[in-house]
Amino acid sequence: MRTVLLASLRRHLRRYVAAGTAVVVAVAFVVAVGVLTTGTQTRITAGAGAPFAGADYVVTNLGTQNAITYAAQHGDEVAVLGSATLPLRAGDEQAAGKFVGSVADLPRLRWQTLDTGRFPEREGEAVVDAWTAQEMTIAVGDTVTLGAGGDAVDLRVVGIGAASASLGQASVYITFDQLLHWRDDDTLLLDRAVVVGDPGRLPDGAVALTPQEHVAAEMAQHTGNVNTMALLLLVFAGIAVLVSVLVITNTFAILFAQRVRDFALLRCVGATRRQVVGSVRREAVVVGVLASLGGAGAGIALGYGLIALAGALTRNSPLGFPDGLPVRWLLGGFAVGVVVTLLASWLPTRRVVRVSPLAALRPDGVVDARTGAGRVRVVLGAVLLAGGAALLTVAAVRNSAVSMVAGGAALFAGVLLFGPLLVPRVVRGIGALLGPGGRLATENAVRNPRRTATTTASLLVGVTLTTAVLTGLATTRASVDANHGSAHPLDVALTSWDGPLDADVLEQVRATPGVGQAITVEGVLVEVDRGSGGGGGSAGAEDGSGGGAGSDGSGADGGGTSDVDADQPPLLLLSAPDAGLVARDGGTFAAVGAGTVALDADVYGDDPGDSLGDPVTVRVADGGADGSTAAGGGAAGADDAAGDGEHDVAVAVPEVELQVTAGRGWGGAGLVASGTLATLGTPRPHAVWVRAAADADPVALVGALETLAGTVGADVDNGLRAEVADDQMLGIITGATLGLLGVSVVIALVGIANTLGLSVLERAREHAVLRALGLTRRQLRRMLATEAVLLSVTAALLGTVLGVGFAWVGYETFVKAALDAATWRIPWLELAAVLPVGVVAGLLAAVLPARRAAGVTPAAALTLD
Amino acid sequence: MSTSRRAPATATRRDAAQADPGRLTPLPAGEPGDDPAGKPAGEPGGRPPAASARGLTKTYGRGAAQVHALRGVDLDVPSGRFTAIMGPSGSGKSTLMHCLAGLDQPSGGTVVVDGTDLGSLGDDALTVFRREHIGFVFQSFNLLPMLTARQNILLPLELGSPRLDDAARERAHELAESLGVADRLDHLPAELSGGQQQRVAIARALITSPSLLFADEPTGNLDSTTSAEVLDHLRRSVRELGQTVVMVTHEPDAAAYADDVVTVQDGLIA
Repeated sequence: MRTVLLASLRRHLRRYVAAGTAVVVAVAFVVAVGVLTTGTQTRITAGAGAPFAGADYVVTNLGTQNAITYAAQHGDEVAVLGSATLPLRAGDEQAAGKFVGSVADLPRLRWQTLDTGRFPEREGEAVVDAWTAQEMTIAVGDTVTLGAGGDAVDLRVVGIGAASASLGQASVYITFDQLLHWRDDDTLLLDRAVVVGDPGRLPDGAVALTPQEHVAAEMAQHTGNVNTMALLLLVFAGIAVLVSVLVITNTFAILFAQRVRDFALLRCVGATRRQVVGSVRREAVVVGVLASLGGAGAGIALGYGLIALAGALTRNSPLGFPDGLPVRWLLGGFAVGVVVTLLASWLPTRRVVRVSPLAALRPDGVVDARTGAGRVRVVLGAVLLAGGAALLTVAAVRNSAVSMVAGGAALFAGVLLFGPLLVPRVVRGIGALLGPGGRLATENAVRNPRRTATTTASLLVGVTLTTAVLTGLATTRASVDANHGSAHPLDVALTSWDGPLDADVLEQVRATPGVGQAITVEGVLVEVDRGSGGGGGSAGAEDGSGGGAGSDGSGADGGGTSDVDADQPPLLLLSAPDAGLVARDGGTFAAVGAGTVALDADVYGDDPGDSLGDPVTVRVADGGADGSTAAGGGAAGADDAAGDGEHDVAVAVPEVELQVTAGRGWGGAGLVASGTLATLGTPRPHAVWVRAAADADPVALVGALETLAGTVGADVDNGLRAEVADDQMLGIITGATLGLLGVSVVIALVGIANTLGLSVLERAREHAVLRALGLTRRQLRRMLATEAVLLSVTAALLGTVLGVGFAWVGYETFVKAALDAATWRIPWLELAAVLPVGVVAGLLAAVLPARRAAGVTPAAALTLD
Repeated sequence: MSTSRRAPATATRRDAAQADPGRLTPLPAGEPGDDPAGKPAGEPGGRPPAASARGLTKTYGRGAAQVHALRGVDLDVPSGRFTAIMGPSGSGKSTLMHCLAGLDQPSGGTVVVDGTDLGSLGDDALTVFRREHIGFVFQSFNLLPMLTARQNILLPLELGSPRLDDAARERAHELAESLGVADRLDHLPAELSGGQQQRVAIARALITSPSLLFADEPTGNLDSTTSAEVLDHLRRSVRELGQTVVMVTHEPDAAAYADDVVTVQDGLIA
């Protein structure tokens, strides 16, 4: 049998190329994940200790305020690690948020490295990270602006450097004293301090560790993170392996079907069943071993290549070269490859056993490759379909992730089992659209239902997951957007708290690139007659993004004085009947009933009435200036506001009592109905509300509007910032997932090409007859291409239906539970792209088989045996 | 349909006869069966040959392994007659048929079929020429397994133009009827007996009214009764339709049905 084995391998090894390719890709995937994971681990280990190298102790769990106090008590002996996230401007370049860290005063605690220049020694000096410097074209000696609005500070760049570790890495480094300039900024997060000498008395909750202890603790946590990442990647590797199994099974099934006569002949001349099957299985082992070796090599090359690429593209790449080859991963990947090949060949080889020696003696060697759907298969498929559907229903009702995964897997397995019944029907349906010209291709595509089903199944896996991810993320994004729309109805608001805005501000705003729509909003400045003392409004009024300020104010409740606080700045009341033109929630937030004022809960706390009193009494501020016109306005407004009852129509200073309601997302101004506003005085343009264009660059837009606002004395409230962050994250997740799923799609294409290629060998005689009867080469190629396209399009259509269905269950299960404003969204455009991709994929898969088939002369194929 | 505009003058008469291949057109001149057997076509009183080969050679392989399948064959296939090519296995008779039918390129020499030099045609033109002028009947029937008998018969027409007219369907039915398979038209080949399959294959070969019908060992897979039926059908197509038929066989019984017998031995006409 050994001679037979070697001869078979020599003769058939080329036909195993496609199956081998599938194994190579899957094994390479696993090994590359291993190399990347090991490399990341190495890199973290190497970099983790750097910030603590010069320290005797590391104090952790400080919290921002404690860290500031602790540093103040210990002077130069302590350096605090942490950063703020601030806008950075250098010349024409703008960035919305860059990490800003500090450089220790004591040289031995400085862990950053310098490329050029020196470290900052006093306020007004900064070191810029080399990568940021390149990105924003910053050089030593340049001036950069950090922060925005009134907090902005100009800094001279005295050095360009880099962090020696990803931990604590920032874009700009300044002295700690300078960083404390933003001590009230929300984004300032300080947690750790490094200490030379005795750490002394620690604030409550803080812990002092030696650098070694600290690094060990950190590493444990990072290893966990890296392992989680590796696990996620392995899920995708698992999908790739599953698809490979389908491709390999199919390859072996087809090859063995074509060799039935050989096997029968062997049995005729006296080989036992066991000998035949043993020989065939050893063939599978050889293929598995060779392909797995290739895959391991390719995986190492891929992993190291990616690490080198990341290193070339970014400094401080989180990827480093592993210390040595990740042997365990290599062996694991190799084992997976061999085992998968063996498993996938098991069923087809079992069929070899059934070959009767008589088969060799039958007159014509025509292999009847027809296979149908067995009864067991149908019953099992039905059970899985029903069970899967039931589990998915449970998942949607109970929000259970476990039953969703189990149900999805069961349903999908059921669909695969039903494939031989289902797929040919779909192929026929699509083929019927092609008319008589496509009939030969259609008939060829469905003549072996099980083979057709397995071939499409490999692509079905990839397409189902891809469309599920596309739809799931589109739905998530729509839901997040809807939530964002109600939380941040305005993209950008320019608000003047002093005088009215000039008439041409609106024109200037509209002329700013990236502005989609802008409206002027009129308002009146009022004084608030506070029912209960509190300072909440002021912080918010100065800085619309100061979310926590309102709650601080409400904490100081209970004073009980009902005097108007002369120190309090006035409150701006706005009325925007046409807010719908710019608002992301359609203007609902600005639709305020008569006699009420809506205040931003982000500024005034969840219950603004606590800080301002409810009802709140307001009267026109700076009555002298506005008095004369206010009388007219008040008189006119009296009719509109009739029914409020409480307001005082005093000619000099109109006073109105308003019910307080809470809303979210427009900043420090109060929103009232236009009638209410008119009773208080003549509305003047006090704000411009902006809706960004769909293709606007948010960073550039906000930067430009901030500059404009500075020149006209207005504040800027930015609702875009949060949206940008959400969008980017979802975009990255989508891209990464699709990229990883792409691997399985590629394997599936290899599978389609493989099935087609092997079928072409099988049908050489038929093709010769067709050529003899007058089918041109081009017609033959087109027929095969049509067959491949039919298969891939069927997989694409079925996969899209399944994928969207799964996404819908996921939406019912997760998104609805997590987000209030959950929105079901089908990304038609992306889904529509799946079909052409399927067509192109089918055409690609057909190129080689079709070329080979068309190259054979009819006479040669007719005399073939 | 006719691509014979470039054909030499000798072919004109045949062209006129075949001007409308959509109908069963008996030859206008002479009684086909009355031509004296073995009389070479092209002689005075005869009609131009349906196919002729001059100096035909075909070699396979190189050097020591070179095989000369044909060593310079001159042959005229008379029009409207049943010619049998006989010879033992390996004599080169199949190669000769493949070259005459434009299925294989000869190494040397010329083949003219129906006035067209096959060597002057590219692969596409040759394919179209086969489609329109040549019919095939094979030893192993070679019906396409996934098409019904009717679809198999209509296939050569469909390859030319995807839309079939009713006349074509009518003609397929007529052929099937005359061959005795009209009641099996909607069956798949696997559901037909060997004889029925071969008769469907003959119908498929005749559907285009080809200038030449090649039958390669048409009875090789059939029992004697069925063989006789099939050979009878081939003979009838010659007698009744004026069809030119070339049959390759190594069975003297089969060759007895032919008007002319050509024997090939070691790559030469014996």
